[in-house]
Amino acid sequence: MRLKQKGLADIADDPEAFEAFYRRHFEAVTRFLARRVGDPHAVADLTAEVFLAVFDSAHTYRPGKGSEIAWLYGVTRNTLLAERRRSARELRANSRIAGRRLLDGDDIARLEERIDAESPARRAMDAMAGLPENERALMELVAVDGLSPAEAAAALGIRQGTARVRLHRARRALQKIPGVLPPLIMEGQR
Amino acid sequence: MNETFEDRLLAELKTEIAARRQARPAPAGRRTTGRRFFAAAGVLGVAAATAVAVPVVIGSGTPAYALTKNPDGSINLKIHELRDPDQVEKDLADMGITADITYLPLGKWCGNLRVTPVKGDNFSLTPEEITSKDPAVKARMRERLESSPSYKAVEMRNGITIHPEYIKPGQIVMIQVAENPVEPTVDNPGVNWQVAGMLSAGPVKPCQVIDEPGAFEIGDATPPPGS
Repeated sequence: MRLKQKGLADIADDPEAFEAFYRRHFEAVTRFLARRVGDPHAVADLTAEVFLAVFDSAHTYRPGKGSEIAWLYGVTRNTLLAERRRSARELRANSRIAGRRLLDGDDIARLEERIDAESPARRAMDAMAGLPENERALMELVAVDGLSPAEAAAALGIRQGTARVRLHRARRALQKIPGVLPPLIMEGQR
Repeated sequence: MNETFEDRLLAELKTEIAARRQARPAPAGRRTTGRRFFAAAGVLGVAAATAVAVPVVIGSGTPAYALTKNPDGSINLKIHELRDPDQVEKDLADMGITADITYLPLGKWCGNLRVTPVKGDNFSLTPEEITSKDPAVKARMRERLESSPSYKAVEMRNGITIHPEYIKPGQIVMIQVAENPVEPTVDNPGVNWQVAGMLSAGPVKPCQVIDEPGAFEIGDATPPPGS
């Protein structure tokens, strides 16, 4: 398959290749966002932003360096961080596609369900809020988003060894917190 | 309706891909001439027709409107928001079409004849024709309308579809659109938009804005006042 040989370079160029990529990952992206954003309109705006960002950075994907989804979560995370730096209003004004304008009532209901369904994940992330930023980012991707430590390292652009050390440290800190976390952490171990 | 946010966003993103693909070959700061541009657009159109059933979008790709070059050579203009008519004109010029685009709020219209009618356009109707119920007369009126160059060149289908083969050199496509800024309701009747498209043999005259209260009359669906 061409995609595997050439990475994702042509998804920014080839509507067919892009559609296949989009259909593969649309749900994962909205879920990732629904775990972090509580408003369906904002999820829609951000989903549009993420796939627009994919066009700009498709050439940075290296198949050897991790799965597509790890790379895409990296893009999604960066989009989200960029959005938090800017005001939401500014984001909308600059965006080429206003995601929220494409929503109808059913879509909003579906996104709200999705946001509700992800509430345990949000609680888990709240529990991690006390960790240092670099450990927390890694823990989120592994324990909440279900990436392997290697994939999470790829998503964050750090070395696997670094990721392992940080995860170990984070886990030790989190063991003191009762409740949701230990099984989630175990789930991330693959 | 089966279409979801997922489908609609995909459609927008594909439009963006096409716009990018179109934007790339043109070197920055330099515009290709209409003729050469046409050649390139033709090649793109064929590529799109064979590879995927996605229309190739020519133009800046701003969300206010979308310009699509169809494989048969016609150009599709979909206006989503009434802003930046100058950019629509520029993008159409790049495709070899000289156009005059005017946007108005609903309830306003241009009271003057802005175009110099082209040869073959004959929309004048006698009072007898307008009031006639004779199917033969109606068929003749319709035939006259459909055979006029303006009707063929600016087709009100799928947004606005422009057929360059019916536009002679020097002719200008005049398009004026009035949009209702509010959603029409029973309490606030009106149509969503009004649009007119016509060819002009010479420069298009400025719009003399007049009130067009007819835009808010949508027939007998609402009872008259006092009833």
